[in-house]
Order: sequence, then structure tokens, then C-alpha cells
Amino acid sequence: MRSYAVQRALLAVVQLAVLSVLVFVLTSLLPGDAAELRFTETLTPDQVARLRGELGLDQPAPERFVHWLGNVLRGDLGTSLISGGPVVDIVRNSIGATLVLTVATLAVVVPLAVALGIVMGTRENGRIDRVITSITLALSAIPDFVIAVVLVAIFSLRLGWLPATWVGGNLLASPALLVLPVAVLFGRTVCLLSRQVRAGTINALHAEYVVQARRLGIPRRQLLLRHVLPNAAVPGVQELARTGDTLLGGVLVVEAIFAIPGFATALVDGVETRDITAVQGLTLVLAVAALLINLAADLVCNRLVPRTALLR
Amino acid sequence: MGVSVVLVVAPLLLAVLGPLVPYDARPGLPYSPEGSLGTDGLGRDVFGLLLVGGRTALGMAFGAVVLAYVVGGLIGLVAASTRHRWLDEGLMRPLDVLLPLPSLLVISVVAVGWQASAVAITVAVAMVNVPTVARLVRAAALDAASGPVVEALRMQRESWFTIQVGYIGRSVLGPVAADLGTRITLAVFLVASVNFLGLGLSPTAPDWAVSVSRNREGLLLQPWSVLAPAILLVSFTLGFNLLADRLVHRSLVVA
Repeated sequence: MRSYAVQRALLAVVQLAVLSVLVFVLTSLLPGDAAELRFTETLTPDQVARLRGELGLDQPAPERFVHWLGNVLRGDLGTSLISGGPVVDIVRNSIGATLVLTVATLAVVVPLAVALGIVMGTRENGRIDRVITSITLALSAIPDFVIAVVLVAIFSLRLGWLPATWVGGNLLASPALLVLPVAVLFGRTVCLLSRQVRAGTINALHAEYVVQARRLGIPRRQLLLRHVLPNAAVPGVQELARTGDTLLGGVLVVEAIFAIPGFATALVDGVETRDITAVQGLTLVLAVAALLINLAADLVCNRLVPRTALLR
Repeated sequence: MGVSVVLVVAPLLLAVLGPLVPYDARPGLPYSPEGSLGTDGLGRDVFGLLLVGGRTALGMAFGAVVLAYVVGGLIGLVAASTRHRWLDEGLMRPLDVLLPLPSLLVISVVAVGWQASAVAITVAVAMVNVPTVARLVRAAALDAASGPVVEALRMQRESWFTIQVGYIGRSVLGPVAADLGTRITLAVFLVASVNFLGLGLSPTAPDWAVSVSRNREGLLLQPWSVLAPAILLVSFTLGFNLLADRLVHRSLVVA
């Protein structure tokens, strides 16, 4: 166990190093820098060049990378090229709304998906299984933004029950604001997750050790909770890590539709205004989060079923 | 089976043949009921838009998946068939590193950076899919290569080509077909999301996803301007999901 954790953590460190280079290269490749984009119409080429020097955009890329990385390691993500404020502040201001959205969604999705997955898996090909499978299949085929557009039209425009856009204030203080966004994010994630748990349950139920345990007369309840669930959870946990990706895409769409000033909105703004330092900072934070989620998922899976090996 | 084929084929036909249909789309007032499906927020005929909007909505996704399979499939097959461990590691390890990159993030950076060209978005969506495709193909090929059939073929002194392409290459096709359904759905989703967010094609493009985004305020005034493109997209992804599900079941039965 210890050695697996160490190996996996080392892989994460390597991933982090490569990702930081990637993030820098990818964002540096954006054609047209902030100096050009902001001022081409009002400034002479001469002035643009001077501004570029002030922003440090005229130095060669490797030098900028070393400088940037050094600052990042000290917790300084640089200053925004557009607002002039520290990028750390942009991250801090935008991360709250996104975290609230994600955590609220997961709090609804995970228990429900596990329950649904076990219900389906223990009744393989029964009527209940087929009905839930069809519903989840259908639901997972509808893009987030279609669900969002339709829900907003029905519940806020037609019926007027729920607010359609964020108007300011704390997301947590007004749960009504969260209902529609979470409902949108809920749909696809619950489908993907419950299907994995179902598959895991079915696999575990067919495994020899479960058949044997059943022969020994272990009560069904104990069998399910102690022997089937840990194995069934492995694909579920891995899917959950991947769900982070789906969820982020969904969060982007949801934040755009409901005008929630979250991480995704900050990122899109940054890309559009060529605020390279902001994009670098936000992307790095996201990539690190994704890495940590994957690391945690792998460690949990290894704890549940220790046979999963790192080296192929 | 029949239903899912119809669900897939109907939007597909519209996307492929739609631009060829001579249709006289007269501009009218915004959100008016003129024409067969009314007009959209810019006063354009919704049916006329549907005819030309499928090419980008589905074509970009298709292109991306094909590209992802060409690149990822090649990497996976080479990694699985090589006898050199360093080549296998050298091909697959970098992909492990790329795997956790949030896909929409990569795509939006590329899309905005390269002036939202359709080609750039297609390539970006493909690149995001390469690591998973490579893993899948490699695992499937190794699975086939380690079985008794390959051992028997080797003992019969069959040629490298017969074993690698004739047997292993063919046995990879099963898992690939099952994966294809979900992957195309995901690609359609990604392309549609990028376009919906306004990071991709221009906001006046006739693309189905862009239409849903642009006309969403008019959903209650003139529902077809939003619902018609949305239904086409959903029909396509739903049909593909159902087909993929069936394929997975069949391959399980065979195995």
C-alpha cells in the first residue's frame, strides 16, 4: 500500500511538472498578446513595443517561463495584464461560486447514483433495471445547454418559480438560485456514474468469491455492503474522477447561462481578452485540481481493491 | 434497433444533404410564424437554417473522432505490438500526463487562439480524445495478443502481417465499435458546447448549437427556433447512445 501511494504520488509530481510547461506553452501560443489587443487602435507601434517591455512580453519564452515558475512556486501567480491586480485575487474571487456549484451537485449526485447503480445491478435485466437504464441512457444524450435552456424557459420564464440569472449576493444564502444550475449539472453526471456502479455491481456479483460467500450463507445485506460494494465502487470512483471533466464542461455552460461569476467565466474572459497571466494562473489551478482528484481517486481505488497496480 | 437507426440517420441525412436542397429562405421579421418553422431572432427562416446548420454541428464532431482514431489508434497499436518496452513507455507515458487536462479548457484556449476556425476546433477535440483512444486500442490489442489464438498462429509460423493485421487488428474492431458510439456523442457535445458558449463559430453561423444559443430568449415566442435544432442534436446523440449500448451488449454475449 505504502509503496503504491509513493509511486502514484511520484507520477503526480511528474505530471505536475509537465503540465506546468504545457499550460505555459499553450497559453503563450495564443496569437496576439494583451498589449496588441488592448491598444492597437489608440497607440502607435512604438508605444505598443514599450508597453510590451513593461509587461515583460518582449523577453524570450524560456526566460519568461523560468520567471513565471519561480513566482508560482512562491505562491505568486503574477499580475493580470488587463485589470492590473494580482491573479491570485481573480482565482480567489471566482473559485467560490464554482466550488459551491460543484459540491452541491456532487452532494446530490453521488448518493443517488450509488443507490441507483446498486438497485439496477442487483436486478440485472429485470424490469426496474431496464426502465432506469433507458431513462439514464436517454437523459445522458441531452446536452447540458439544451436542458438548461428548456428548464429556464419553463421554470423561470413561464412559471416564474425560480430565478433565471444570478443577480448578486451569496450563492449559499439563496438556495433557490442553485436549484436550476444543479438540476442541469445533475442530469448527465448521475447517468454516467450510476451506469458505472451498475456495471461494477454486476461484475462483482458474478465473481467467484461472491458466489462462494453466498454458498457459505452470508446474509444478502452483509454480502452487498461488505463484499460487493467495495468492488463495485472502483469503476464508480474512477468515473467520478472523470466526471470532474464532464462537470467542468457543464459548469462552464451553466455559469454562462445563469450569469454566475465563477471560475469558468473568469477563464473565458481571460482567454477572450488575452490576459495571459490570468489564463495561466487559472489553468494551472484547474490542472492541479484535476491532478489531485485523479490522485485521490487512484489511492481510494487502491485502498478498496489493493490489487490495482500502477505499473503496467 | 430500428428506432435508434432512424434517430441517427435522420439528422445525419439532413446534415449531409441539407445544403444541397434548393430552398428559398426569405428573411422575415424576428420570431415570426412565417414559413414552415417560423423565423429566428434575426428574422431568418428556421427551416432554411436547419438545412445548412448540420454540416458544422455533426461534421466537426465526425472529423474529430476520425482524426482521434487515426492518431490514437496508431499509437495504441504500435505500443501494443512493439517488443521494445521503451517504445511502449515512450508512447503511452506522455499520454498519461495529458489525460487529466480538462478537455473544454484545452478546446476553448485553442478555439479562441486560432480565431475560432472550424478546423482548429476539430483538431482540438481530436487531440483531447487521443489519450483515451490510444489506451483503449492498446488494451484491446494486448488482450488479443496474449490469447491462445496468437500463440497458435505463431506456432503455425504465420506471417507478422497475418497475426498483427489479420487477427489482432480485427479483434480490436469490436471494442472500437462499442467505444465509437459514446465517443461520437461526446464529440458532438464538446463541439456543441464550444459553439454554444460563443467560443467557436461566429454567433450568426447557422450551426444547430449556435442556433440554440442565439435564440434561447425566444423559446417562448417561437419555440421551433430553439427546439428544432435541439431536437436534431439530441436525436443524433440519443440514437448513437442506444446503438453503442446494443453493441456493448452484443460483444458481451459473444465474449
